[in-house]
Amino acid sequence: MNRVEEILALIRHVPPFPKVAERVMQVLKDPDVTAHQLAEVIQYDQAITANVLKICNAAYFGIPRKVNSLDEGLVVIGHDILKDIIIASSSARFYQGQVGAGYGLEQGDMWRHSVATGIMAKLLVKHIKDVDPGSAFTAALLHDIGKRFLSSFVADDFAQIVDKVGRENCSFVEAEQEILGIDHAALGGMILEKWEFDQPLIDAVREHHDAAALERAPLSALVALSNSLVISIGIGVGDDGLASELRGDGLKRFGITMDMLQICMADLLTELDRAQELLNI
Amino acid sequence: MKVIVGISDMKVSNNAKEMLITYSLGSCIGVVIWDPAVKVGGLLHYMLPDSRLDKERAQKKPFMFADTGIPALFKECYSLGAAKSRLIVKVVGGSQILDPTGLFSIGKRNYQILRMLFDRNHINIAAEDIGGSVNRTVSLEIGTGRVHLKVSGRGEFEL
Repeated sequence: MNRVEEILALIRHVPPFPKVAERVMQVLKDPDVTAHQLAEVIQYDQAITANVLKICNAAYFGIPRKVNSLDEGLVVIGHDILKDIIIASSSARFYQGQVGAGYGLEQGDMWRHSVATGIMAKLLVKHIKDVDPGSAFTAALLHDIGKRFLSSFVADDFAQIVDKVGRENCSFVEAEQEILGIDHAALGGMILEKWEFDQPLIDAVREHHDAAALERAPLSALVALSNSLVISIGIGVGDDGLASELRGDGLKRFGITMDMLQICMADLLTELDRAQELLNI
Repeated sequence: MKVIVGISDMKVSNNAKEMLITYSLGSCIGVVIWDPAVKVGGLLHYMLPDSRLDKERAQKKPFMFADTGIPALFKECYSLGAAKSRLIVKVVGGSQILDPTGLFSIGKRNYQILRMLFDRNHINIAAEDIGGSVNRTVSLEIGTGRVHLKVSGRGEFEL
């Protein structure tokens, strides 16, 4: 088995995305769904139930009174926030432990980077039309999922990858692609495909290091931009550093200025302070 | 004892046992200053160049911006007995993502405004490690003035 086959074989063993998330998304398509019907679906996943309650009571969502039961929580938070909570607590399990060691990431770094990118995507959504905030948060939260599974292979060939980046001034994903035969963005796209996410989300994860991402579909542009800003700020960044390429001229299409981006960077720090419960899932 | 400086944050110290450290500088800049005579030092980690972007925020978070954070760093060290003429100044960070169109240039602007402020106030930089597409962690030992730098892909060394 060659290297790429070995990496791809891994995907067969990637655990499924929690079923409850898929069922909640399905049920939420009916605008008249009741809190009780939602609770029926969610209550079978204990981790998610606990997280819904914990996050309902978190400052980030600004709910004024204490929420004690799932039914009550679901009435209070509204469907959009519920979707974010379900996705966050379903994703968190893939980012626990020493998952990014091959990239020089400490425990918790990958989750912090993912949550920051998810929040950044929600901040930027006002500047990028035709993207719904829920998809933005989900795709951004999962954009680096491929790293989770490529990490040990990166560790094996780390010196070679870093050497290529340093010598040729290329991006880290280009070096992954050349030396390992596949990069974490492509692998992430395959994982989302296996998890049966919608095509725009699969594309956004696959294209998040595409230098021309700002010319792609709005969701792809949004995720690539969010990731680039979070990398620039240095949140949960490993040995790949800022060796990621994105052509800035694509911002024109959305009428986004550097000042707008700087405001979003400043806002992100405030939002992250308020999102401690999300970070501690 | 390690004292962590966050993003848009600053710490100063005259405790010889303390080490000020800031992790993961990307386009942000870390400014390290130290006075060997009184063993007073400070570390600033600012994120954005110009406080005119949002004056209200700059009042609440002066360490977010170069033009409000840098003066605050020097003033705080002066208040602990440091003197401008003795201060050793080191600067790190200011990286960028790879962008052939040069529009994502916050790192470069962060450095330009620092140079402008330093030139205007006749402050010399003793050592620096600036730019590229790397990620940096920097620390200052208050007792010795030693500055350690860790750069992605280049390892750890003294600056």
